[in-house]
Amino acid sequence: MRKVWAVVRREFSERVRSRWFWISTAMVPVFFAAVVLLPTLLTESESAKRIVVVDGSPPFGSRVAEALDAGRIFEATALPDRSGVIDSLIAEIAAKRLDGILVVPPEFLTSGAAEYRAPNVSSLRDVEELERVLEQLGTGVRLERAGIDPALLARTRLPVNLTTRKISRSRTTGESSRQSFSLAYFMGITLYTVILMYGVNVKSSVLEEKTTRIVEVLVSSVRPFPLLLGKVIGVGAVSLVQLVLWGTVGRFLVQQRAAIAARMTGLDQANDIFQVPSVSLETAVVFIAYFLGGFFLYAAMFAAVGAMSSSEQEAQQAQQPIVLVLVLSFVSMFALLGDPNSGLSVALSLIPFTSPIAMPVRWAAGDLPPTDLTLSLVLLAVGIAAVTWVAARIYRVGILMTGKRPGLKELARWVRVG
Amino acid sequence: MTKRFAGHVAVHDLSLAVPSGVIYGLLGPNGAGKTTTIRMILDILLPDEGTVQLFGGPGTAREHAARIGYLPEERGLYRKMRVLDVLVFLGEMRGLERTAARRNALEWLDRLGLGAWRLRRIDELSKGMQQKVQFISTVLHRPALVVLDEPFGGLDPVNAQALKDAVLELRQAGTTILFSTHIMEQAERLCDRLCIIARGRKLVDGSLADIKRTSTSQHVIIGFQGEAGGASALFADRRLVKKLDDYGQYAELELAAGSDAQDLLRQLVASGARLSRFELVEPSLHKVFIDLVGPDAARADALDEVARA
Repeated sequence: MRKVWAVVRREFSERVRSRWFWISTAMVPVFFAAVVLLPTLLTESESAKRIVVVDGSPPFGSRVAEALDAGRIFEATALPDRSGVIDSLIAEIAAKRLDGILVVPPEFLTSGAAEYRAPNVSSLRDVEELERVLEQLGTGVRLERAGIDPALLARTRLPVNLTTRKISRSRTTGESSRQSFSLAYFMGITLYTVILMYGVNVKSSVLEEKTTRIVEVLVSSVRPFPLLLGKVIGVGAVSLVQLVLWGTVGRFLVQQRAAIAARMTGLDQANDIFQVPSVSLETAVVFIAYFLGGFFLYAAMFAAVGAMSSSEQEAQQAQQPIVLVLVLSFVSMFALLGDPNSGLSVALSLIPFTSPIAMPVRWAAGDLPPTDLTLSLVLLAVGIAAVTWVAARIYRVGILMTGKRPGLKELARWVRVG
Repeated sequence: MTKRFAGHVAVHDLSLAVPSGVIYGLLGPNGAGKTTTIRMILDILLPDEGTVQLFGGPGTAREHAARIGYLPEERGLYRKMRVLDVLVFLGEMRGLERTAARRNALEWLDRLGLGAWRLRRIDELSKGMQQKVQFISTVLHRPALVVLDEPFGGLDPVNAQALKDAVLELRQAGTTILFSTHIMEQAERLCDRLCIIARGRKLVDGSLADIKRTSTSQHVIIGFQGEAGGASALFADRRLVKKLDDYGQYAELELAAGSDAQDLLRQLVASGARLSRFELVEPSLHKVFIDLVGPDAARADALDEVARA
């Protein structure tokens, strides 16, 4: 049908051309990058800490200072431990010319005990760095004393790389529970945002044609249902393009993430709040399938809302119940993540109105019986068919009506009479 | 055709025949069922009873979409779209090829002096320009039948004149035009044939002359030059004058059945009135319309709200 194709093309090209589309396309990756990188950046934005190593067993302290100085966290110098040194250094700290002192006592190489004094000792990273350097150098000296060549040790050392993978039934999901959580969380939030955003788009499009009466011109040339279908497909295509753009940019950012983080922070390893999971092909397919299902389901409902309203304000009110269901399925995500196989989780992932968000989240959390997935998809398909049938009838009557928004009884009559 | 909505009959057993190549006016007060009738003709609504036949053959308006142009009432356009894109899209919806739609659109834009605006967004145009674009979208595909619902509503005099010229030009080219209106002056000047409906029923249809002949009443316009003499007493005489519209300097009146205009003139002069004008006129369409529709018009307004809900 050439006319339906013209509708699809208009919906698609008008949206892709709009400034709004490109702003949202750019903003979302920036937002997610911020979520991932910001915690690391905030920790790393401080300048190097100036510390003095008070050396109780020269020349070991000087070597510690050198090693610390080579890293990016500290700017270290060594001073021999004479009486009064510590007090004068503490005075320096009070005057904010110094950030801390590391006291290496004479018996360090036997006891391993040392002391770090600073106004702020809560930074795990600082402490880890100090411990690492002290342990490495101390062990080296002790090995030499025991007659072992440190070079030999370095050669014989075997770095072990143990990867952990969680097994759930027959397939593996995110490699750790932290990654599964991140994956489920990102999928849930994306599904919720995109379905809502583009559902509202369909509503506005229907409403615009209704209030301008263009719909009458269109309907005198093409039947209401193909018109509605063309509209939904056009808007859906835009959302898919946006998802693909986000996916591509996201993939690039994740791949380059280590490099970006290193350049920004100067560390080899960024400490992640959100672990970035690897996304398998299966996961992507499940995600897209439920996205499309959810979009068609909600787009039909939003179209009905647009058709029954005669102004943007009216539509805002009329869409409340639909938005509420979406918000509920989004919020239930947290319950799902807690226990993906509880009765509630299973129910949410099977009911067509909540399954578009709930099921992908359950999938990502792992351990999903394949029968559940099949059943959920079948139910979703049935739900889409039923909802579209009702929505199309409301649409057909609603687009020609003006005046008061119909009540439930009136709507039921529209659906019956069609 | 008959169309019922919840609680009332919007169009009752209405039968119309629009000959090809004429300008046909569908007249009626608000809520008379004009828009409902047009929607049934265009297959936007299905009649509960009766049928619509187009171009003397089978097929619904949707199947004939390429040959029909439609301009709805209280219309608008996609506000954020560019002028040319809107026209191409609406042309495509009428079955034109994309390239043909583009070519016709550019031709029309140039013809109406909007060529320079083709890449502007609709909401950057003035209201008059938007109305021109809408008119182009209606006739872009060279339809054989153009349906205009209340086309003159909301137009300023300049644009109304431009639209009237465009409509006459279309008729010259052989296009059939069906339009609805409640403005009688427009209908009187434009229509070859017309149909007056009220409360969903046809009151009369035919050519303008036929319809005026249905009114057997005699109308006189009398102008005064200063002195009115005993005119007011004469006008109050129900044996002479049936109805009076007194505008001060002149009056339009309908003679009572059986009274003679010459008799009235003699009596006026005898009463000492100084006349500047005494003219026998045929009733205006407005007058015919009011006579036919009568007090129904006011009640139909209230029904209008129901029809739309």
